[in-house]
Amino acid sequence: MSYILNRILSMLLTLFLISAVTFAVTNILPGDVAMIIMGTQSNPEALAGLRESLGLNDPLLAQYGRWIGGMLSGDWGTSLVFKEPIAPLLLQKMTASALIVLLSMTIALVCAVPLGVWAAVYPNRWQDTASSSASLLGVSLPDFFWGIMMILLFARGLGWLPSSGFVDPGEDVLGAFRHALLPSLALGLGLMAHLTRMTRATMTGILNQEFIRVARAKGLGERTVIWRYALANAVGPVMTVAGLQVGYLFGSIIVVESLFNYTGMGWLTYQGLLNRDIPLIQATVFVVAAVVMLANLLVDLLYVVVDPRIRLS
Amino acid sequence: MKLPAAFRNSKGMIGAVLVLAILLVAVIAPMLIPDDWATRMDMRARLSPPTWAHPLGTDQLGRDLMYRVLLGAHTSVFIASSAVLMSIVIGLPLGLISGYVGRMTDNVLMRLVDTLLSFPALLLALTISAVLGPNLQNTIIAIGIAFTPYLARIIRGEALRVSHMPYVEAARTAGNSDRRLIVRHILPNIMPAVIVQSTISLAFAILAEAGLSFLGLGTQPPDASWGLMIQASRDYLDRAPWTALVPGAAVALTVLGLNMFGDALRDALDPRSKGAS
Amino acid sequence: MLDSDRPLVSIDNLRVEFKGEDGPIVAVENVSFTIAPGETVCVVGESGSGKSVTSLSLMRLVEFGGGEITGGRLEFARDSGTTDLAHADPDTMRSIRGDEIGMIFQEPMTSLNPVFTIERQMTDGLRVHRGLSAGKARARALELLQQVRIPEPERRLKQYPHELSGGMRQRVVIAMAMACEPRLLIADEPTTALDVTIQAEILSLIDRLKRETGMAVLFITHDMAVVAQMADRVVVMFRGNLVEEGPVEEIFTNPKQDYTRALLAAVPRLGEMRGKPAPEPMRLIGAEPARSAPVPAAKPKPLLEVSNLTTRYPVKGGLFRRTIANVHAVEDVSFTINKGETLALVGESGCGKSSCGRSILRLTEPSSGQVLLDRSDITSLNDRDLRRAWRDMQMVFQDPFASLNPYMRLSEQVAEPLINFQLAAGSELKDRIATLFDRVELPRSFMTRFPHELSGGQRQRVAIARALAVNPKLIIADEAVSALDVSVQAQVLNLMMELQAELGVSFLFISHDMAVVERVSHRVGVMYLGRLVEIGSRAQVFENPQHPYTRSLMSAVPIADPTRRSIREDVQFRPIPSPVFPLGHEPGASEYDEVSPGHLVLKNGLGASVQ
Repeated sequence: MSYILNRILSMLLTLFLISAVTFAVTNILPGDVAMIIMGTQSNPEALAGLRESLGLNDPLLAQYGRWIGGMLSGDWGTSLVFKEPIAPLLLQKMTASALIVLLSMTIALVCAVPLGVWAAVYPNRWQDTASSSASLLGVSLPDFFWGIMMILLFARGLGWLPSSGFVDPGEDVLGAFRHALLPSLALGLGLMAHLTRMTRATMTGILNQEFIRVARAKGLGERTVIWRYALANAVGPVMTVAGLQVGYLFGSIIVVESLFNYTGMGWLTYQGLLNRDIPLIQATVFVVAAVVMLANLLVDLLYVVVDPRIRLS
Repeated sequence: MKLPAAFRNSKGMIGAVLVLAILLVAVIAPMLIPDDWATRMDMRARLSPPTWAHPLGTDQLGRDLMYRVLLGAHTSVFIASSAVLMSIVIGLPLGLISGYVGRMTDNVLMRLVDTLLSFPALLLALTISAVLGPNLQNTIIAIGIAFTPYLARIIRGEALRVSHMPYVEAARTAGNSDRRLIVRHILPNIMPAVIVQSTISLAFAILAEAGLSFLGLGTQPPDASWGLMIQASRDYLDRAPWTALVPGAAVALTVLGLNMFGDALRDALDPRSKGAS
Repeated sequence: MLDSDRPLVSIDNLRVEFKGEDGPIVAVENVSFTIAPGETVCVVGESGSGKSVTSLSLMRLVEFGGGEITGGRLEFARDSGTTDLAHADPDTMRSIRGDEIGMIFQEPMTSLNPVFTIERQMTDGLRVHRGLSAGKARARALELLQQVRIPEPERRLKQYPHELSGGMRQRVVIAMAMACEPRLLIADEPTTALDVTIQAEILSLIDRLKRETGMAVLFITHDMAVVAQMADRVVVMFRGNLVEEGPVEEIFTNPKQDYTRALLAAVPRLGEMRGKPAPEPMRLIGAEPARSAPVPAAKPKPLLEVSNLTTRYPVKGGLFRRTIANVHAVEDVSFTINKGETLALVGESGCGKSSCGRSILRLTEPSSGQVLLDRSDITSLNDRDLRRAWRDMQMVFQDPFASLNPYMRLSEQVAEPLINFQLAAGSELKDRIATLFDRVELPRSFMTRFPHELSGGQRQRVAIARALAVNPKLIIADEAVSALDVSVQAQVLNLMMELQAELGVSFLFISHDMAVVERVSHRVGVMYLGRLVEIGSRAQVFENPQHPYTRSLMSAVPIADPTRRSIREDVQFRPIPSPVFPLGHEPGASEYDEVSPGHLVLKNGLGASVQ
């Protein structure tokens, strides 16, 4: 119980620090917001006026306070690029990205776990070499490369799936899925390679532990030993690794979504970065970091369910 | 001296060969290949597939892809190495102090590092690059800062582990000052982890540079990096897929080689292999 | 029904190989012996002898670790005739494992699956071999837990392994191995990782089960004392070969092979120091006779005076990770060590003896109390002066693998204290180091080597050389020989005693091994739950123990003499209570009775007793 409370308190502190870092990165580093909005050739008086109206001459701490206060009351600022309030934009794009993040994570886990176990059970034989080589290749190729491959193969080549665009699942589930599949595959393949390697490493570690030998000494069949005894101990560590990968995924979607013109969180962040839309950058970066942190918190809480040693201490 | 067992298998050897080859190209190519061989535009031969004249094809401006990709090695490797070096210069002392001193210092520093780890590395690098203005140096800074927390965390873990080893306590009772302890006892024992992690970071840095340049927030023309080459090929994927495949394969081979080498290095430097008799 | 004339197990010319970097490594070769039904055979040997590999081969578990049986037969008598286990197919082996042959291993802390309940782990074997339903299997599991005398068996079934102590986990593992009433129980070093009192419990348990069920036991161990207590017949192994075998009394009284004789000579036996005034080096075979032996000083002069030493560690938890409790590791401990003498601190795990040693050196800061070394107060020194004080006190640690820097040459590590304390430089430094290596009987060529090139015993010698470099007045040996093989241990102990005789250095010898302590100490202190419960001369404490805990500790130590079997009918020692107390808890001061001059016994009545 106190474990959970401690984690939540910790999370709140980290959330606060995340906001501070986000604000620092976007404001302390050199770069003039007014000039970005109006262009470098603008009239210096107009620039000064804009700076005043945007409150850019106030002390940093005051600006920070205003930003936080705004967020807490639901006002996340207005995008300079889209000229719309940011909050509803965030919500919409977040749902789009959530779809491909979840889809790619599912694809990756479903394939990676059996492959990793398989490689661990037959160490240094052809199963292991094949699986390890494939996953080594998988982590070495950049995500956008997989994306390009997917486009060339499935969209342009075979014409099965669309290569760009996004459809709201609220309106058309099948269409949403069709548009989400290629980006999810592009993300998922790299992820699957990494998770396969991690699963193999975890399983190898577990299979070397004493209780596995004891289980065999009891006369239990190999299948029981591996898929019940060993795997039950691998769930926790693999889950932790997968959770950490959520962070990596939210970085990769920036590239993949713009490749596929899939208008999700990554695409939105990219638009902000490209156009130096400071309010949008602040909001999107903060949200992404917060979501990543929440994913890690979720994993920690799930660990309580999975591992009785944490549950009962 | 016998080659360590980890390198006697094919994975280690292939990795080592690849890394050596890429390093060689990165260092020597700019000396052997005159700049204009890569920048010379031949509009009649634009977007041509591999031929005798242009063994790897040409891009949309008629430039020879083979020379461009060879020279691109220099840029990409230079950026990646500088970024990793920067992350070591910042992250090593940070992690070392945190792990050695422990307690409050460790708590505070690791809390900061964990906060930074909540930001996806690519996102952090992109943001820093966008805010500073994308060019070669800022790409190095952006990637360097983004990778520092990962390195700091790993080094802190190692420093913590080593600081509690009996030989460090024995060294303390042997009259060593804190400075001597760190330099003669702790640092040498965390170096294997630093080396392995650097190799892996290098691979990620190459990927990061490619990603940043692909999005237009990394190296800018006329600097030729592999990521920039892939970005330029986006509009021509249908007609001339090799314009993307050539630089993409270069990235893949480099990263693959580094990953294989890093894996073999990790196995070779595993502290468990020391101490068994 | 099995023919009791025919052997149960007949191992014939066994040869086992492992894949090595440069070709196959032969782990076991030419090993042949038999096990009769109902008999206990102990396979004894030091590390690398191949004793574990032999037992794993019998279960065909050795293949899972990369080994291969490349020769020989493993005949096992079953109802249907004898089967050669070496060539049996996997299905046959699976039906034999856990059913006709049970096996228990060394590490109880890791022998159980951490995420499954005890019930699940105990019943799945039963359900596979006997086809029992869930309910019937649970009932049988309960029966088994009662058979191994676990307290509160119903509660244990629902618990997870981490909620049980080491001794209890080993009982569960034994219960699991006994589930299907096997004809043979293979026990691979089952008590090596346990405290002496728990070891006594487990040994008596195995003995009782053997008598109740008539099963045979193949007992692997490195401890000759355990062999003397448990074995009917003994098999001695060395470097993969069988050296000697025979009935236990014959092996102990009339060993034929040199190796066996050397092994027996290296084993300290409890009780053989009776009547001897001072520690005595062991008479080893095949090694040079010891040069000198420590003699008690005519007028003892105090060197180390420890008064009311208390060390507590905070326990963090709850919200905000505050300190919620304290571990009372060392509680009001006082003793004196005289110049040129050895004081031993004995006790079981968690008694605070290591914490005591570390607190004296201030590697761990004591919470209160005073430590005087040669009249100067160690406890009040600042960091810089403390560093200088370490010139006079040094420590040798338990783990020879972890107490040397893997990346530093050995000569440099031995030189460090000399350089740091500015005791020598240049050619004089080189000479000092060479002399030190000579003193600890290591060849000078080792000076340029790195730790991983040396064996455990050799590393420990380097650690001793390093400690000696500054000519300290006191050396604290924290379980310094516990991780060494018996023969190596004896050599290192002899070295320590010679050094004491030559240099007059005092030792604080921390150990859990009573027989070793009897050999090397002038005075002995017994610790329990952080307190010193008894202290006196070695003769006083060993020949006339007064405190109930000391007595039960003595009774639990196995004696390396097969004619003096002391395994009693079901021993149960009270489990050691936890030394964790809430904040602000102030236990009373330690008060002692002086039973005879210099022999003090704690008054408060703390301590375990035999039930």
